[in-house]
Amino acid sequence: MTDKRQLRQPSCINIFIQHSMKIFYHRKLVCLAYFSLLLAACSCVNLQAVTEYSATSMAGIQNFEEIDYSFLQHCLDRCTDEAIATYAIKPAQECSCSLYQQADSVTQVIYNTLAGYFEGLNNLSNNQLTNYSSDALVSALSADALGPVKVDAASVTAFSSLSNTLLRASTDLYRKKKLGFYIEQANEPIQVLLKNFTTIINTNLRGELKFKRARLYKYYMDMKMNRTLVSEYEKGQATSDYYQELEEINRKEKALAVFAESVVEIAEGHQVLYDNRNKLSVKELSGLLFSYSSNVKDLISEFNKLKD
Amino acid sequence: MANLTSEQASQLADNFYYLGMAIGEFRYANWDRLSLEENKELSEMQNSILRCGEDILAYATKLIMDEVATSLVQINTISQEIKGSIKTLKNIQKGLNVAAVILILGVAIVNRKPDEISSSLKDLVDTWNTPLD
Repeated sequence: MTDKRQLRQPSCINIFIQHSMKIFYHRKLVCLAYFSLLLAACSCVNLQAVTEYSATSMAGIQNFEEIDYSFLQHCLDRCTDEAIATYAIKPAQECSCSLYQQADSVTQVIYNTLAGYFEGLNNLSNNQLTNYSSDALVSALSADALGPVKVDAASVTAFSSLSNTLLRASTDLYRKKKLGFYIEQANEPIQVLLKNFTTIINTNLRGELKFKRARLYKYYMDMKMNRTLVSEYEKGQATSDYYQELEEINRKEKALAVFAESVVEIAEGHQVLYDNRNKLSVKELSGLLFSYSSNVKDLISEFNKLKD
Repeated sequence: MANLTSEQASQLADNFYYLGMAIGEFRYANWDRLSLEENKELSEMQNSILRCGEDILAYATKLIMDEVATSLVQINTISQEIKGSIKTLKNIQKGLNVAAVILILGVAIVNRKPDEISSSLKDLVDTWNTPLD
């Protein structure tokens, strides 16, 4: 009995143990509270700068679909111009444009890849589901039209090994980390594609318009030299037609130049993003990216005016 | 033999643009001295030379050439010379010959035949430097 009673009564040791347990639980609760606060703080990671930049870039790149000119269109226009100049009326227009169609196909692959990348970047920074496929980027980089691709092979491999499906991240901190990794792996190949996209639009496609202008000049000059126009009205009408057509070519040239300029701004912005990939939530990044996003917005607006 | 960069292709296309325009200026400067046949022939060659320049831009970096840098410098130099003085050329036949070899060179470039590019480039330099005004 005595032994049992002794056991039921709290001994000094038992009191000490209970007290220690209370302190332990209290500390655990405090730790848990701290951890929850930390998690809450992490969930407030601000990726707005990345979201804004990627959304503007996406809109800028997507203006490609609004360009009312292509290599194929140029080839078809050339056939029509030549038929008009030689008064060639045939049951159907004979026009071989396969080379020009190939040039369009390569441009389209590059465009799809870039649009997909910026959409993926935007979704990831916005905590939305995304399924950007790096396979498209790898195939775009191996396109013939890029010529000797100046991108490190290891970099392409690293990027292609990224998970094709970037799932919604459970915490913003994890999302930020994943986003930084995404930007780091993508920067080199994306810069190569942006540079090539600019060259194709600004140098090659815009360059084709110079030849269209040369053919237009030849058509009207030949008409003038042949003295085929007799009345003053006809001469005036021909001159008016010439300058209207010239203006239309100039408008197209300007639209292509403005679009290409926006792609250059996007590329420079991405480089800033890459250089700051480890501090994506830092407020200063918004300031650094602001000028690029703002310039792209201005260029989109300018492009839209030229489009109309 | 190497691929051209897009910058080199663009420079080459520019040369064909200026050569095409120069043939046009030669036609207009000698309009009344050219027979109808000669004028038609020159007009067609001018169109084809411009076409070569357009095709070069569409091909861009798929073009190939032997000793790219040297060949491009040669093409650039001869193009500048022709552009600068073909208008004042008195000899119609020489104008026709020059237009023909420019076209042969352009076709060789577009067809990606390095041997023909080298030989036609040499022909162009020789034809242009032949002492006929």
